[in-house]
Formats: sequence, C-alpha cells, structure tokens
Amino acid sequence: MRLILTTSIAVLLAASSANAAIDRAQKPSPGPAPEAAFPDYHQTTLPNGLRVFVIEDDRTPTVTFRLLIKSGSVFDGEKTGLAGFVAGLLNRGTAKRDAATFAKEIDSLGAKLEAVAAADYTAVVTSGLTKYTDEMIDLFRDAVLNPVFPSEQFTREQRKSLSQLMAEKMEPDALATKLTGKVLFGGHPYGAYRTPETVQAITREDLVKFHQQHFLPNNASLAIVGDVKPAQIISLIEKALGGWRKGEVPTIEAPKDDEVKGLSIHLVDRPGSVQSNIVVAQRGPRRSSPDIAELNVINATLGGGFSGRLFQNLREKNGWTYGAYSAFNPMELGGAFQAGAETRNDVTHLALIEILKEMQRMRDEPVPEAELELQRQYNVGNYLLSLESAARTAQRVQDIDLYGLPADYYKTYAKQMSSVTPASAQELSKKYLDASNAMIVVVGEGKEIRPELEKLGKVSAYNTELQPAPEPKPAP
Amino acid sequence: MSLAQDAQPIPAKTVLKPIKFVEYDLPNGLHVILHENHAAPVISSYVLYHVGSKNERPDRTGFAHFFEHLMFEGTENIPRGQIDKFISGAGGNLNASTSFDRTDYYFNLPSNQLQLALWIESERMLHAKIDEIGVETQRKVVKEEKRRGVDNQPYGTLFEELAKLVFEGTPYSWVPIGAFQYIDEAKIEEFRDFYKMYYVPNNATLAVAGDFKVEEIKPLIEAYFGPIPRGADVQRPKMEWKLPAAGQKKDVLKENTPLPATLHAWRAPVETDADAYPLELLTNILATGRSSRLYKRLVEKEQVALDAEAFPYLMEKAGMVGVFATGQNGVALDQLDQLITEEVESVKKGGVTEEEFQKARNTKEAEFAKAFGAMASRAENLARYHLFFGDTNLINTELDRYLSVKREDLQRVAQKYLTDDGRNVLRYPVPAAPAESKKSN
Repeated sequence: MRLILTTSIAVLLAASSANAAIDRAQKPSPGPAPEAAFPDYHQTTLPNGLRVFVIEDDRTPTVTFRLLIKSGSVFDGEKTGLAGFVAGLLNRGTAKRDAATFAKEIDSLGAKLEAVAAADYTAVVTSGLTKYTDEMIDLFRDAVLNPVFPSEQFTREQRKSLSQLMAEKMEPDALATKLTGKVLFGGHPYGAYRTPETVQAITREDLVKFHQQHFLPNNASLAIVGDVKPAQIISLIEKALGGWRKGEVPTIEAPKDDEVKGLSIHLVDRPGSVQSNIVVAQRGPRRSSPDIAELNVINATLGGGFSGRLFQNLREKNGWTYGAYSAFNPMELGGAFQAGAETRNDVTHLALIEILKEMQRMRDEPVPEAELELQRQYNVGNYLLSLESAARTAQRVQDIDLYGLPADYYKTYAKQMSSVTPASAQELSKKYLDASNAMIVVVGEGKEIRPELEKLGKVSAYNTELQPAPEPKPAP
Repeated sequence: MSLAQDAQPIPAKTVLKPIKFVEYDLPNGLHVILHENHAAPVISSYVLYHVGSKNERPDRTGFAHFFEHLMFEGTENIPRGQIDKFISGAGGNLNASTSFDRTDYYFNLPSNQLQLALWIESERMLHAKIDEIGVETQRKVVKEEKRRGVDNQPYGTLFEELAKLVFEGTPYSWVPIGAFQYIDEAKIEEFRDFYKMYYVPNNATLAVAGDFKVEEIKPLIEAYFGPIPRGADVQRPKMEWKLPAAGQKKDVLKENTPLPATLHAWRAPVETDADAYPLELLTNILATGRSSRLYKRLVEKEQVALDAEAFPYLMEKAGMVGVFATGQNGVALDQLDQLITEEVESVKKGGVTEEEFQKARNTKEAEFAKAFGAMASRAENLARYHLFFGDTNLINTELDRYLSVKREDLQRVAQKYLTDDGRNVLRYPVPAAPAESKKSN
C-alpha cells in the first residue's frame, strides 16, 4: 500500500516537473509507437458448413449478428437488381410472421434487422441490446431461413424502385456511378445497373429461386460482435441455425479481360449542372491480389486523404474543388480504380488534365522518401485506429473467409504497408495506374464543358437515360 | 390497464457502463474534460468553440464555417499546409465541422502522439496565421463545397429554405454554409477580428479521450494551453425564441426536382427544455421503423411515398420538429400533405398506445447503449453535454430523462407544438413535363 502511494506521488512530481519542458516552436516527438495487434477472436464451423466468428467487445451492452451470404448482385443474371430485392424483402414477411408483425416485433425491441446486397455478397445484419439476444436470434433466423417474399410487398418495392430510378436520373453521383460501371465492365454484372426494364422483368418467383440457390450455410459466414460469451452464443446459434441445410454453391465467371486501348471520354449531359462530376476509371486488381496492402499506400499518396496529391493539387493549390480523391475497389472476380473530383464547369478540363498528370507522375517518378514515409505512417496508424472498432474487425474476419485470404492476412497487414519503398511504389504504379488508357466519365453541363473535353479526345455523349445522345447540330 | 395484460416480464433496464471523466477549468477559462481509457492504444482530441453561424452578422453569413477552413492553414510555429501532414504522418486523421451553434475540431491518433494533438490545438488557439493566399484559396474551395452540397443536388436547397421559413427573424434563419457574396466581401481584418473574439480559451472546451494517464496529461495541457491569454467575454447574439409562431407555406420550384417532396415543420423548444424528451419519443413513434405511423400509412397502406421521416432539430436557442416525405412518381403533393396532417391530428387527438410508447423507449435505450463506444464519440459528447447542457455527466444519465417521460406527455407535446397555425409547409413540386417527353412514357 505504502509503496503504491509513494510511487504515485513520484509520478505526479515527475509529471508536474515536466510542466515547463515543452518547446512550442518544435513539433513534439512521439513516444514509441503502439503495435497494431489484430484482436483475437473465436471461430468454429457448424456441421452444415456455416462458419461462425465471435468477437468479444464489452464496452457496450449490445450485440450485432452479421450474416454474410457469399452471393451478391453478381448473380443477378439478366435481372439486374434481383439480389437487392431479395435482401430488401427478407424482413417483410416470413412463414409465421407477416410484414407488419415482423416490423412490430423488431421495432419493439428497439433493434434493427436489415439486409443489403453488394456485388460479391449479401449481408444480413441485426443489432440491439444483449438482453434481447434470444428474441433477436429468433427474428434473424426467421428472416434468413423462412422469408416468403409476399407478392404485395414485392410489388410495392418494385414500384418504389421505379420512382427511385426517376430520381437517380437527376442525381449527378448516381449517373456517374452507373456509367462508370458500364464503361469499365461492359456486359458483366459488375457493371450492370437497374433500369425500369430490369426492375419490371423480375418476378416474385425469381426472388424465391435466388434465395433457395444462394442462402446456404456452406455459402455463408456469421460474425457475432458484442458483449457475449463465445461458448454460450455459439450454442444458441447451433440451436437456431444448425438445422439449416447445406447445398451446392453456385459459381459465376469473371469479367473478360479489359481490352480497352487509348483514352476514352464519356460525357453525360445534365443540363443545369453548376459542377462537373469527373471520374477517371480503369480496371484494378482483385481482392485476392497480394498487392492490395501496398496499393493502399500508393493510393494514399495519389489521392487517399487531405495530404494526397490530388487533394493538394486540385483543392489546396488551385481551389477547383472541395475534395479530390482516388480509390482501388478490389472485388472477388475483378476490380476497379477510380480517381475523381467535383469541379465548377469552367475548370472541368483543367482538373481532368491534372488528375491524369498526377497518375502519370506516380509512374514516371519515384515518390520521395519523406512523402512515402508520411503515407506509410498514415496507413499503418489509421489501420491501428480502425482496430478500435469491433464491428470493423468482424468485417475483416469475414473478408478473409469470403475472399480466401491467408489466415494471418490482417496480422501482417501493417507490416506489408510499412514495406513499400520508392522503387516498389513506382513498380506498382506502373502495373496499376495507366493514365493513357483511362476511361473518363464526366457528368455536367454539356454545352459549357464539351468543347474543351473534345480537345482531349473523342467524346461519347449520353443523355440522363444514359442512352447515346445525338451529335450536337452545328449552329444554324 | 389490468395487471394481467401486463403479465409478460419486462426485462430490466440495461445498465450502461459509466464513462468516467475528470473536468476542470484552466485559469484562462479553457474547460478541460479528460476520459482515461486503455481499451485500445488510441486517443481522440476534440476542441469545441462556442461559435457558429448564429453568431454571424446577416451580411456576413457563412463566416464561421469559412473560418473553420482557415484554421487548417497554419500558425506562428506551423508552416502553412502542414497541419494535416503532421497528423497524417503521425498515423492519424482529422476534421472539423460548423453548425449553427458551434465549431468543432478533432484529431484521432495512436496514443504515442498525444502531445502532437495538444501542440497543434494549442497553436491554433494561441496564434493561428491567416494570410491572403489561404483566404483566396479557401474562398474558391468553399464555393465548390456549396455547389456540391446545395446547388447541384436535387432538394439541395431544402435545409436553407427550411431555416428561412421556420427561424425567420432570428440568426438561425441562415445556414452555416452561408452565401457566396459575403465571403467575397469580407476583408482579411474581419477574419482576424473574428479569431480574436471567438477563438479564445474562455470560449472553448477541450476534451481528450483514450489511452493516457490523467496525471500525466494534466501538466502537458497546462504547459500547452495555460499560456494562452484569456479573451474578452464573448457577446452572445440577442434573440427571442417565440413559441408558438405562425407558420408559412412555400413551394420551391427547381428544374431538377425528380419526385414530389413535402416537409411540415413547427417551431419547437430549445434542446435543454424538458419537452425535448417527449418530443423525440413522439417523432420515433411517427416515423422510426416500419411499424411507425407514417411508414404504415404513407408507404405501406396508401403507397404514395418512398419514405417518411420525422425529426426533432433542437438547438441552443431555437428548435424545430418536422415531418418529411418523398412522394412516389406522379403522386400529388396535396395528397401527401393531407395524409401527414391526418396522422399528426390523430396523435394529437388520441395520443399514443402503450405498445408504441414502449417501442420508443426501447429504441432510445438501444441507441444510448450503442452510442458512446469509440473514443472519438466519447470526447465529442462529453464536450457537447458540458457546453450546451452544463452537465458533462449527462453522457451517463441522459437516458434516464427519456425513460422518465410519461406516455401522456407525448400527446401533450403534440398538442402544444404541432399546431395548425404553427405549421410551416415547404414543398418541392415536380416541374410540369414538357409536352414532347410524354411520348416516351
């Protein structure tokens, strides 16, 4: 006791004597960096093939269940939007609860149960207070195993989708995203977007079939995050989902290799625009590529944050935009790279030229060591910060399973990002950044921005239906 | 209600783990709040200045937000453009935001970089450097920020129009992004004066949460922030918040409006008023979840809306409560308005059911249980509760205020605030389609 007391007084004295020790003219030097240790978690596989991960986090008295079905909109086939409808309607009626009952029960717990379809997966997530764990598992099980996709609910969602598509025709972001997917992936489902025709082609039977084919325990993983005990929660899950029957997991082809050569410019004429949305896109690596961790550092250098080159050039030097960023989006069967900004009309072409220049500079010149060191630290440090979130850890653990990554992937992640050198950065830039063959999408006021864009290359023009627009007529 | 009907056991209220903190004032008036927590090797610093757009002159709107951009420029000891480089290079991230009532700045960093956060924030408070280059660049940047968020988006002007309508006659009637012309007109001296008036320790709160020892951080805070001179007492805008006030109607005609949308809004009490709590529960019953009244009526039954939202927007000296719905393609705005009115009248007339009431309470309980996990959110909310409620410990106890609301309070506040006279209606009609586009439909 005495010893402890004495020690703490010593600490206090030592600390207060440090009072005058700062030098405001100098950046303070940091203490030794904490290690980015990926948290431990519990995992098991049920006899039906369902992989279960438990990540304990006792900071809040809540629990989240995230079921990842390893099939997403890439399995839509001709009926683009199908996986989205399946996800959206899981909580709208089951064999024993109609939509209203289901809504009332989940709402009354103060909980949420929602599902979304991404390209590679469908995620069903429920979260709420731990004291309602049993009730949440019951609703969760019901939504995942026994949805009936009631006709009237489906018809209503279909109708809402048609209204949403009307709205998206006027939203610059939506237009840019859709056209970018199309020019990148052509006819592959990675590049498909919903239209009134695809939405209307979908039937209730398609939803039932999709659910039967893809919602299989051996095509899924479940992460449980929160204030739970692994043994206890796994036994509850075994009881709830142990009887879920396995089946044959469907497969799908990857997009054909990209054969685009030369710069292409695609302009969506959105009359009345006071800003242009610019996207510079190209194909990128898959999620399983061994280069992903290092590409984080390369991307950060080019356009990952406030200290990235795109932000510094387009915003801080030129004042053309509120933000300019780039990102790799690696998926299971293919990937994309995108760089972009929203700029006022009269500098659209200038901003585009600078984005291409910055991409080219990553290939032509090695990144100076000091700049690269900043970006390595930025990535490693922010990775460490992200480990504070147990939900994020759960996603990563499920990603390892979904994309077949090495089991120690995230244990060595920080080390991989730290290993980038100016030489390897240049080599990877040459492999993955190719300004001279980029696909450019611009959404904006055609009559103001088209003439300057024409000077950069041939412009293919589209209307807000994303249909090819007729060539502008010469002035009479 | 008989006991038999209530026989189902109701689980006990969830016990939230208390968030411990210490707080004190430096002699120069800076309020300091410290939350020590070693769950992860991270720290979050959060500086809250009690200045927002309501402190602006009507001919200088957008000033507080513009100034927030300038705070990233540099200081006497930090060269221009280095603040983000220092934070990013230390493995962290940063940002800032401006609202009607306050401007905030945060850093999230690995815990070995604690001192860097204190250094930069104290530098900015002591002697930020504001020069012509920075002002010129940020003028352009802020215009792009406004075009992106407001002028180039469907419904982008909604918030601006709403503030004009509901907060007319008060400094809440303009929004933080402000107007282009005033930022252009402002002289550099005005920015310096603004800094001198508001960016003083006696107008600021510093909260730090995460992996540090209180006894070790205190002397550092003293060393970095102690020497910053106290400023003059800050003059707060004089305003009277009149409740109720007559509502107004406005249709906003925009070429880029794709679907009809309508918003009904009423003046509401300030955030510290006891009625804030029943009002929040009421909006939950009106529109949170698929069992809510507006969802069931507008989306499910009548199928006229894509979605419906109800929200309280309560601030330091003003407040509003609103209901928003986006119509399905081709639905008449009058019909949406009629249905919203019917649902609001129904709750005024009949109150809410016990089942609805329990659902709203449970939702709040779950929200609070989830709310303050990350260090960043702990730092932010500790500072917010201190500054605007004068009770930092509300981070641990505010849930009790929701749970002590009585069911009949919800009907009472509905009747008190959602009045016919006080209803503002802001609508975005779809422009009439030109004759030729009809062919394709």
